[in-house]
Order: sequence, then C-alpha cells, then structure tokens
Amino acid sequence: MGAIDNAADVLAAESGEGGFWEDAYPVIPHPGELIVGIISFAILYFLYKRFVVPRLEAMLAERQRTIEGGIERAEAMQAEAKAALEQYRAQLAEARNEAAQIRDQARAEGQQILEELRVQAQEESARIVARGEEQIAAARQQVINELRGQVGGLAVELAGRVVGESLADEARRQGTVDRFLDQLDELAAGTPDGRSGSTVSGGTR
Amino acid sequence: MTTVVSAAEEFVPPSAPDFWQPLVGDGAFAITRSMIVMVLVTIGLAVVMMLATRRLSVVPGRGQYRLEGVYGLVRNSIGRDIIGSDHFRPYVPLLFTLFTLILLNNLMAIIPVVQFPTTSRISFPIAFALGVYVVYLVAGVRRRGLGGFLKNLVPSGLPFWVVPVVFILELVTFLITRPVTLALRLFGNMFAGHILLLLFAVGGEFLLLNGDGLLKLVSIPAFFMFFLFSAFEILIAFLQAYVFILLASVYIAEVYADDH
Amino acid sequence: MEGNLAIIGYGLSAIGPGVGIGLIFAAYVAGVARQPEVRGVLQTIAILGFVLCEQLAIFGIALAFVFS
Repeated sequence: MGAIDNAADVLAAESGEGGFWEDAYPVIPHPGELIVGIISFAILYFLYKRFVVPRLEAMLAERQRTIEGGIERAEAMQAEAKAALEQYRAQLAEARNEAAQIRDQARAEGQQILEELRVQAQEESARIVARGEEQIAAARQQVINELRGQVGGLAVELAGRVVGESLADEARRQGTVDRFLDQLDELAAGTPDGRSGSTVSGGTR
Repeated sequence: MTTVVSAAEEFVPPSAPDFWQPLVGDGAFAITRSMIVMVLVTIGLAVVMMLATRRLSVVPGRGQYRLEGVYGLVRNSIGRDIIGSDHFRPYVPLLFTLFTLILLNNLMAIIPVVQFPTTSRISFPIAFALGVYVVYLVAGVRRRGLGGFLKNLVPSGLPFWVVPVVFILELVTFLITRPVTLALRLFGNMFAGHILLLLFAVGGEFLLLNGDGLLKLVSIPAFFMFFLFSAFEILIAFLQAYVFILLASVYIAEVYADDH
Repeated sequence: MEGNLAIIGYGLSAIGPGVGIGLIFAAYVAGVARQPEVRGVLQTIAILGFVLCEQLAIFGIALAFVFS
C-alpha cells in the first residue's frame, strides 16, 4: 500500500541521494532484494519440482507398495494360521470323543468286574456260612454223642446210689439207660415244658 | 550495528534504518546483507535437499526420517488435508519450497553469526507471496476460465443489488488484500520480533557500558529477556512458516472449493 | 516527552487482535477439553483464526512505520 504510493520516490532515489534507503519506510521493497528473492525462490522451486519432490514421492509410493505387499503376506499367514487352528480343533474334538468312548468302556468294564466280584463274594460268604453250619452241626453231634455216654453212666450211678441197689447187672442196666435216653430224646423233640418232663420222670420211676 | 549504537552517549533505540545494511554499493541495486543471507540459504537448502534425496530408502535412516517428518507435515497435514486429496499433488513442490525456505530464513534471526532474519526485509516476503499469488490465480483461471473465475467470486443466491458490491469486495480481497496480507504478516512478525531482540540487546549493552552504579545490574534482566525472546523467536519462525503455507493452501483450496 | 503518535496508533490497533486471539484460543482450549480426539482439526482452524486476527495488528505495525 505504502509501496504503491511511494513508487515515484523510489525511482527518484535511484538516481540521487544514497541515504534514501536508510530512511525509507520498511514496507517499501528494495528492488535488488526483490529480484534476488524471486530468482532464489524460482531456482529452489525448480529444483524441488524437478528432483526433490518426485524422489520423495517415488519413495513414498514404493513404501506404500511394500506395506501393501507386507499386508498381503500377513493376511496369507493369518489364513494359514487359521487353517492350522481349525485342524487342531478338529483333532482335539476327535481326541475328546475317543477319550469319552474309552471312558465309557472302562466304566462298563468296571461295572462288570464289580458285578463279578459281588457274585463271587456272595458265593464265598454262602460257602463260609454253610461250612460254619456244618461245623456247628458236627460239634453238636459230637457233644450229643459225648453227653449220651456220660449222662447215661452218671445217671445210672446216681440212681444206684439213691436206690441203694446195685445195678451191676449188665443187661438190666443197659435196658434202663436206653429207655432213659429214649425218653430224653422224646423230651428234646417235644415241647420242653415242666409237665411233660415230670411225666417222663414219673414214668421212669 | 550494535557497536555503532552503543558507542553513542545517548541511547538510540533500534528502528527501521537498522535493517538497511548495504555491503557493496548503495541505492536500489546495492548488494545487501539480507541478499547474501538469502542466496546462502538457498544454496545451502538446495545442496542439502539434493544430497538428502539422492538415496532414499524405504526404511528411513535418522536423517531421512527427519526429512520425511517435515515433508509429511507439508504434504499431508497441509497439502492433502486442506487442498483435498484429489488436487494437492501439483502444489506440493510449491508448499515444500515455501516452507523450507521461509523457515530457514526466519531461523536466521537466531543462528549465531548471521542473526538477521532475511524475511524482515519486505522484498523477500513479497517475492514468496508473489509466487503464491501467481499460482492461485493461474489455477483459478485455468479451472474455470476467466469468466467463470470472475463469476465464481460472488456466491449465488444474493439479491441483485448486492452483487456488484460483493463482486468488487471479493475482487479486491482476491487481487490485493490476500497477497498483501500474506507478505505483510510474515514481514511484520519477523520485523517486530527482530526489533524486540535488538531492543533488549542494545538496551542491555547500553546499560552495561554507560549506566552508572546499580543501573549496570539492570542489564542482566535485559540480557535474560534477550535469551527468552530468542527462544520465543524459534517458535515464531516455525509458526510463521507454517501459517504462510497454511494460508497459501487455503487460497489454493478455494479454487477447488465447490468440487465436493 | 518524545515519541511518536503512530506507535500509539499501533497500540490501539493491537487491542482488537489481542482480544480476538484470546477468544480464539479460549474456544480452542474448551473444544479440546470437551473432545480431545478432534484436536488436530481444531488446531488448524485455531491457527487459521489466529492468523486472520493477527493480520490487523500487523497492518497496525506496518502503518505505524509508514506514518512515523
């Protein structure tokens, strides 16, 4: 603005006094500097347009391509990894199935073994019980037999002392003992109450 | 310049003439300090960029990583996001040139030995703004033709009597206000920032040399402020370069505005 | 007292942008606090607003030197 107003002064100063530029308003462009500025700017612009920027752009484009290539590679690798994961999962599922089958089978077998064991144990216990009963019966029989001998002898001796009569006669004694034991057997087989016992003893007498 | 000022008995605050530093000759075509800095920055930038992009690898090294950071900021955050992904490609060289050149020139304000921001001479911001100006005008005319370009300045649906007013306002905005503000903003920020730095440096030096007694101690906070503002200038340098290409791409984006 | 009236003019012209920039960044901070994920978008818009606001002050400083 000031520059336009003072253009005439500038031209006048060119031919005359050298002090004009020292006192000139700072907004008046100095022609020499303006020319140098435009030329420098133009040269630098040319260099940039011709060399610097195309080089940088080429590098950026190549980087872009590289990055895109890298992305593609990465995608391929990802797909591969995904496939591997799928496969792995399938295998895992298969293995799980198999394991479940094995487990079921093992459980069934275990059941069976248990059953067998139980049957065996029952048989064993039954056998033990039967033998025990046999032993008891045998022991009872033995006791009965023993008692039969001793009780007869004791009773006869007791009776002889009570009666005071010798029962030495073999034949008579034998008959008495037998009869007594028979009565005793009857007593054991029948209802063991006092009345039948007294009946027996009364009979014996 | 500082030695000249502080040698004087009376304190002379820094002002506009401090920015006029001819090295060879005098007058309109004198070779000035800022010219030299500008040429050196351009050459340095050209050499570094050509070497840095000579062998680019897909997997970046440390240096390439930084270069890509800057390039990505310009290309993606500004070019692509503002102009739109369909049209931004032809403008990337322009934006990248502007950003690197302006940033480095701004940073010259802090870099020792140079310590003079080239962009605080208005000629250079004007040169940059001129580039943007030409590009967005050409893009607009090429896209719609001259008639369509002028017609597109006025939004549709306005009452007929408003149209001329809006047209003239828009035309002035498009042709004058935008390039002028673009150049002035960069210039103004760097100019004001540099004056502020000069003020603290020169003032501190004056107090230290010419102050009597305890006044000498006041130069310590002055120098401290100088360092503080130097750090602040780094931020400003970056922000102004960013803003310059941000606005450039906003102006360019307007050409394609009704596309989507 | 020495000085330049133009600099007072610059001071006056800096008031408006100062208030405006404050409002812009206040809104930006509030917006980011409310929705941190849109920070990138808001940042660009905030800087754009900041720049458009700042240009008035820049005009001020340029004109201050023109009329000094």
